[in-house]
Amino acid sequence: MLARLRGRHDVNLWFWVFVGPFFAGLVLFIYVPIGWSVYLSFFEAYNTVTPTEFVGLANYRDMLADPAFRDSLLTFVVFAAFIVPTTFALSLLTALLVARTRVMQAFFRSVFFLPVACSYVVAALIWKMSIFSGMRSGAANALLGLAGLDPIPWLSLTNPPWYWLVIVSARLWLQVGFYMILFLAALQRVPTNLYEAAAIDGAEGWQVFRHITWPQLLPASTAVLLLLLINAFQAFDEFYNILAGFGGYPPYARPPLVYLYYTALGSGQNFGDGSAGAVILTVLIAVVALAQTRLLRLGGRD
Amino acid sequence: MLHERRRYVVLRWTLLLLGTVLFLLPFALLLRGAFSSEGDLTSGTWHWLPPTWEWGNLAAVLDNRTVPLGRALLNSTLIAVSQTVGVLVLSGMAGYGLARIPYRWSGVVFWLITVTLLIPAAVTFVPSFVLVSSLGWISTLRGLIVPGLFQALATFLFRQFFLSFPREIEEAAALDGLSWWGTFWRVVVPNSGGFAAAIGTITFIGSWNAFLWPLVIGRAPESWTVQVALSTYLTAQTSQVSLLFMAALVAILPLLLMFLLLQRWIVQGVERTGISE
Amino acid sequence: MARPHRPLPTLSRRRMLALGGVGALGASLAACGDNTGREGSAGQEDGGGSSGGRPSIAQWYHQYGEAGTQEAVERYAADYEPADVTVFWKPGDYDQTTAASLLTDSGPDVFEYGNGPTIDMIRGDQVADLTDLFGDTLDDFTPSLVERMTYDGKIWAVPQVLDMQVLVYRRSMLEEAGIDAPQQIPDLVAAARELTRGDVKGLFLGNDGGAGLLGGPMLWAAGLDYLDGEQVGFHSAGAPEALSVLRTLWTDESLLLGQAKDWFDADALISGRTAMQWTGLWTFPAISEALGDDFGAIPWPSMEGGSPSVPVGAYGSCVSTRAGDVQAAKDFVRWLWIDQTDKQLDFATSYGFHVPSRVSLVPQAEVLSSGPAADAAGYVTEFGHAQTPLLWTPQCATAWSDMMSRIVRDGADPQEELDALVPVVEAELERVTG
Repeated sequence: MLARLRGRHDVNLWFWVFVGPFFAGLVLFIYVPIGWSVYLSFFEAYNTVTPTEFVGLANYRDMLADPAFRDSLLTFVVFAAFIVPTTFALSLLTALLVARTRVMQAFFRSVFFLPVACSYVVAALIWKMSIFSGMRSGAANALLGLAGLDPIPWLSLTNPPWYWLVIVSARLWLQVGFYMILFLAALQRVPTNLYEAAAIDGAEGWQVFRHITWPQLLPASTAVLLLLLINAFQAFDEFYNILAGFGGYPPYARPPLVYLYYTALGSGQNFGDGSAGAVILTVLIAVVALAQTRLLRLGGRD
Repeated sequence: MLHERRRYVVLRWTLLLLGTVLFLLPFALLLRGAFSSEGDLTSGTWHWLPPTWEWGNLAAVLDNRTVPLGRALLNSTLIAVSQTVGVLVLSGMAGYGLARIPYRWSGVVFWLITVTLLIPAAVTFVPSFVLVSSLGWISTLRGLIVPGLFQALATFLFRQFFLSFPREIEEAAALDGLSWWGTFWRVVVPNSGGFAAAIGTITFIGSWNAFLWPLVIGRAPESWTVQVALSTYLTAQTSQVSLLFMAALVAILPLLLMFLLLQRWIVQGVERTGISE
Repeated sequence: MARPHRPLPTLSRRRMLALGGVGALGASLAACGDNTGREGSAGQEDGGGSSGGRPSIAQWYHQYGEAGTQEAVERYAADYEPADVTVFWKPGDYDQTTAASLLTDSGPDVFEYGNGPTIDMIRGDQVADLTDLFGDTLDDFTPSLVERMTYDGKIWAVPQVLDMQVLVYRRSMLEEAGIDAPQQIPDLVAAARELTRGDVKGLFLGNDGGAGLLGGPMLWAAGLDYLDGEQVGFHSAGAPEALSVLRTLWTDESLLLGQAKDWFDADALISGRTAMQWTGLWTFPAISEALGDDFGAIPWPSMEGGSPSVPVGAYGSCVSTRAGDVQAAKDFVRWLWIDQTDKQLDFATSYGFHVPSRVSLVPQAEVLSSGPAADAAGYVTEFGHAQTPLLWTPQCATAWSDMMSRIVRDGADPQEELDALVPVVEAELERVTG
């Protein structure tokens, strides 16, 4: 009994019993790798993860001078410019539609939410082989066929870059339901008396949304924007599975992680450059996230 | 509550039904593909339903010794289950320790944990690969499971949750002579089921659908997850598109079932993980 | 069109030929380096070394898609008296797995590798010199294959069987349009344009419009090559014109694109969506089953100053220098891939169509004795080119295929693109020959 009580007050020991296993793992699997990569990024390392020859900042110079790497950053910007606003608008729209519906609300919510269960790999398969197959039998081409138009080889062309339609729509399908849930939760938190007051004032439709709903959704909106941007930065799965093929990856629509994958782990096996690239990306994303968090705070969240 | 004009109602229902069709269409196409014959899938004409239903596709994909789909399903299950359990235990304990145990450096430790939230794991896959390969864990279940056990976000959420946990109950337990350990397992855990279910389901889905890390680590077919196995045949050349669809169907069925059964917890999990990042 | 169920991924030999065009061939370069522990699930089965009196040999193959291949190689192994040979059948990313395993003791003793070992394997002393196994049979092997597996005057692998890519056309469709099988590139461009009618396109070169596969054949058509010995071979007059032919085909909209089954399947040709298609010899059984004799095969046509060509590739049987008993492993390779001509013939022709790597066996291959298959096989000695040279590293291949995609799909200026490629290739040549 006494021993137990002492144990209870042996704060240091108990803290580490509870937090230690997790913290040790976090250090080993996040801090150590990043530290090692920073170290490795100053060395040449072909086909090996141990440093061979010190090259100073040469790997960073290589990466920043590599047009393919800079292109990959540009690809991210283009992708984010497509995906962030469209996901935002669509998930907000579906949330508003579902929230307004009393009949079959659970059904509609499930319908929009269900794709969240699907993996990017499976979605890529459906998009590549069924919806945007280049043949007349593809869903999109069958639709064009109804309008008397020729089939389009969606993934073969770079001009116009139809592949963006394929990639963006796949991600929309997968993630709209997720953000819809966030907006739905935020909508439920809007006090009903605000609506009642608005109704008394004779406000309707768009006015209600503009003056009542939207201001209440602002905090959730900033959070959604941050999440969307960070997720866009991590884009890999659908790009890889839709565009990679036998011959490797085409030189377009190559986001940073795909580029890094081929540099470090594909045929390149160049861990020096790969580590430098990873460090650059890590710094970039951390800066973006910090800036966003700052904005988020300014936006009025705790 | 609000008077809604007729045209708004019509517009709303039109959009809802259109959205429903668009969102369910990919599932329908997956089903169609899974039960189509190869020739119908690659022919030049569109069909809503398979002209001939190939029920044999299911047996064909499961019997197939050259595609380790059974093994991949087993791997995915092992990984998702152990990561879910592991994350709940590790992050639950850590979250509790951070929330309740008044350790001097608790704030520093918490800061070191939350700062990693700024860096998504995917971005550091090269460094992680370097470490895991040095441990000799390439193509092993260890390599696939262990690095995913340490989720800073889950710990953060658990901490927030335990901060809001009624202190009186724990104090009563302490007076009864329970140690931190006893209080946690006998008093706190039994009252945290809903929250743990929310975090657990989200972890499970994320783990089952994970792709980049299993792709990087699972080099040998024995260590492929379902997603990696599918991707291998999608990005390589497939002679049998229909079997690929069937394999994909088999791969998402467990999750779809889970979704229908556990939707409440999943929705809660999404709300918490989404809002709090 | 019900077909018998075949294994889901037909990752057959065609795999290697397909990879050849691009980086992955040399993906070679080990998966992860010295520290790659391969113990655990993957490693346990890969025993090698000797036990008891008879040496034991671990022999690795990638997973062939054609039914019966695995049983066949196991049968061959069982027939070998002097040693216990165990066959390991490896699905998935064979090149990377194998390359990584060579760094460890759990690797193979004897293994096949696409177009022979990579330059990095040879320079890293990972594979044994097999020159003395050939003896006077050397002249009997297809020269382009032997040349591809030779470095520093030594031969590093024994070619097993040969795969080839070739241009296939529908006789009836050409006849109907009054067109002869094209002999020259301008004829091909004109024919492709002529044969394009609505949904039916003139030519199918793959979903990327030939960017991945036909850069090499276009160089050969102009009398050039990737490399000229240890020098850049593509940076000469004629190269920009040659590569821009593919762009012309693209802008003419003569090319079929967006197919569910890419160039390695003859589906597009069989179903009549294209009149001509670039594909592999392995599709011939399927084509003749569906079309009878309504098809013909020709090499990729030539331009002025060049010659027609067919890319050829072969898995080469190699011996690891970390083998338990290198001499025993070499003896086995000599027995199977040099002495046992009946087994080589069986391997080449009983499980899909392939050309025996030994010229003297070609006439004995019944499936290759008549029709388009015979024509195609005949092109090998006359027009055969190894897909890419030994010194053409993965970095070169990636830069090349990126360039080809820009030229063909985006209409980039070939001269500027080639100029920009030169330093990349020279740096790689410097790295591997310096």
